[in-house]
Amino acid sequence: MSVSIPTTSALSPSQLVPSTHPTVSKMLQRLSRPSLLSLVLDWLDEKNQEITAPYLLGPDEDPDEQDPYPACSSLGELREIYSDLQARKGSKRDVVDRIVEGDWRDGLTLYQLAMADMQYLYDHPTSQKWSALKIVPLAPPSPSAKPATVPRFHPSTFLQNLQREVLPDVKAHYNLDRHATLPLWILRIYIIDSPYNTPLALSSKAGMAPLSFDSSRLFYVAFPDASPYIYVSLTTASAPSPGSLSDNRSLRRLTLEGIPKAFSRPRERYRLEGTGLSARNLHALCESRGGGRTNAAGGGWSVYADEERRDNPLDMTVHLPTPESQMGESDEEGSAEKPPQVRGMKRRREDDEGVVQRRKLVAQGRFGNSARFGDGKGIERLDIRLEDPFPAPVSLPSGSSPDGDLDRGARRGERRKGRRSTIDQELDRHKEEEDDAEGSWRPDIRITFQGAHLFAGIRALVEAGVVDGEKMPGWMTGEEGVSVGVVREGRIRGGRGNAL
Amino acid sequence: MTSSSASSVSEVEDPIGAELDAEISSLKSQISTLKSQRALQARHILSSHTTHAILSRLRASKPAPPSSSSNPTSSGPPDVSPLLQTSSQQLAHNQENLYRACASITTFPIQDPDPNAVDHGKVLGIRIDVSSLGRFARPYYVMLNKPCVGEDVLRVHRHTIPPCIPVAALAARYLPIAKGAGEEGGAKGARKQNLGKFIRALRREIVAYHNRTTVIKSLRRDFKLDEDREKRGKGKGKEKEKIIADISAADAEAKQVRIEWVDGKIGRCVVGESGMVEKCVVIGEQGRDWEVERRILGGDKGDASMRGIGERLREGIY
Repeated sequence: MSVSIPTTSALSPSQLVPSTHPTVSKMLQRLSRPSLLSLVLDWLDEKNQEITAPYLLGPDEDPDEQDPYPACSSLGELREIYSDLQARKGSKRDVVDRIVEGDWRDGLTLYQLAMADMQYLYDHPTSQKWSALKIVPLAPPSPSAKPATVPRFHPSTFLQNLQREVLPDVKAHYNLDRHATLPLWILRIYIIDSPYNTPLALSSKAGMAPLSFDSSRLFYVAFPDASPYIYVSLTTASAPSPGSLSDNRSLRRLTLEGIPKAFSRPRERYRLEGTGLSARNLHALCESRGGGRTNAAGGGWSVYADEERRDNPLDMTVHLPTPESQMGESDEEGSAEKPPQVRGMKRRREDDEGVVQRRKLVAQGRFGNSARFGDGKGIERLDIRLEDPFPAPVSLPSGSSPDGDLDRGARRGERRKGRRSTIDQELDRHKEEEDDAEGSWRPDIRITFQGAHLFAGIRALVEAGVVDGEKMPGWMTGEEGVSVGVVREGRIRGGRGNAL
Repeated sequence: MTSSSASSVSEVEDPIGAELDAEISSLKSQISTLKSQRALQARHILSSHTTHAILSRLRASKPAPPSSSSNPTSSGPPDVSPLLQTSSQQLAHNQENLYRACASITTFPIQDPDPNAVDHGKVLGIRIDVSSLGRFARPYYVMLNKPCVGEDVLRVHRHTIPPCIPVAALAARYLPIAKGAGEEGGAKGARKQNLGKFIRALRREIVAYHNRTTVIKSLRRDFKLDEDREKRGKGKGKEKEKIIADISAADAEAKQVRIEWVDGKIGRCVVGESGMVEKCVVIGEQGRDWEVERRILGGDKGDASMRGIGERLREGIY
């Protein structure tokens, strides 16, 4: 029995959690049978034995006949058993029972639980909601000094520093994992209120907070490569016992505050800043808050950041109007794709071939190659607050003279915006009338879009002709890369509104 | 491809089907080759000034056709205007390519599709073409607009510069957005915007970044680091001649290079703006290895270029 002394060091990954603990089997139960079995085979891997060793029989021990899961004497034997289970069909229950009551009867290590948890996260990529935060220098850089753009992330140094920031009466278990497909590291932090880093911290004795793996004690931080952003999992607002809620919140907050400090170095201090983007999809976050070129080129602008874009100065190809090259070219961002027949559109049949084609082109111009179903980059929620002045009530004139338009334009003077070309004059007239508010009453309008892949949905609506692709404001294309924003004069002001 | 997987399936049961599949796929590849050849030939013909001259002459010799000239039933020479147009397009494109390849910073106008865009959606696109190792990388784009009505203040609207290049800092320095920043001798104390300097500094950063990553790549190739990784075999015999275990960029900007020796030494060098090694630390089991550090820093020759790291290391070993 080890001596329990309050300490500031982290919990050891080989710390055992008793397998009788309800959350252990609960955590394993969450996984699907195939991923559970592959996980077990990982645990049985030779190189993991220090922290995931199963219960094995000693050389001079005899197996207990009464044991429903007789213990094996070697790793190879166990590996065979689980490979067999993998090949056969069976219930997940049996596998979990075998793990908990048989091969890991002494308990599972924190590392194993972390692995199980990460496996669940990979199996259910949308189970966590992530919000992107930017790591910015604490003091505004003087224009002469050259600021480092991307704070360097060195996993072990970072963890050491983070550990130093966490309070001594809190123990945390850290597990850092490389994402299988995306260029990021995921840090799992599991917080336990205990000053000890011995089994005492994990035993649910009287007087101690019972060990629980609820979401408020567990959170994830993702570190994309070569990017000044981090993604933090938001705790889903599942309210546990009211007493411990605030506690856990503050623990989480403290850890979160520790992150920029752990990034900091002498004479180089950082803080975190919200970026107005949160989503369940890590891929979408990597796209607009990652280390690549797509951060400030969303929506229709993504054609410029597209990897497929063959735009080489040594390439002589002019995209000749052959049938092969008709589609997929939108260099001019759709301006060339707008023949002056806006008026006629309403009268045309819905299923007219040309109209459908044109809508597709408009959608291509507005969204580029982004926002397609199946690209796996969808965000699921967009909250917009409109702060535009309330439009003055006007009767829609069907045949107002062009003079009226000129008049109005002159009156509005400098405030006029959005006029793209004379082609859209008809559209503009209505819009200008709407904008032409005498008072400045700004009603509080909030719009929330929700869906599995929100912008792909809007794109589909544009292609179906439900949403007018030309009048649609830019924030509906996702080009701002935010999930929360304030719209003024038709443009996002909240998040970035600007590329920088 | 799907055809190859299909052929592998049918191979088992049906040798004739497999043969046919192979034939189809070879014909398909032939078609694509021929298509690209045709496109290349067409481009060459269109690029030639002789073609342009002939087409112009043809059109000039013909009486000016009425506006709706595309009348297929009419006899006589075909209408050459579309051809002429394509030819001019091709020539313009060639010229643009020439500018892009030689000047490496080119501009083009963009129309912002957003109906609420500032300044009527007029956007200035700037394209930065960077080449390394004999080929052009994907161009970088910066799109600027004028957010303030009536003022010539530019602002970076969108860009495709990765975060490891400090666009924001450069824009803050050279394109400050303040009242009167765009006017001649604007408000007192306000710095003026300088687009030229901004783009030049940006291009410099991008080129430096590309050069650094290229040097790291070539160092890796010099020390045969990537080949081993591909083979993945337990080539213990090779280990003897291998001295460097790994060379990689330690940060996003590739300004820090991490060198790992086979004997456990670890080095880190900091590369400056100009591609010179500025600082270097090498730590082995017996503490700092001053000899190697001195070598990486240029030694007696005073040449501390990043490019020469490999050569200088080699000199020390052999």
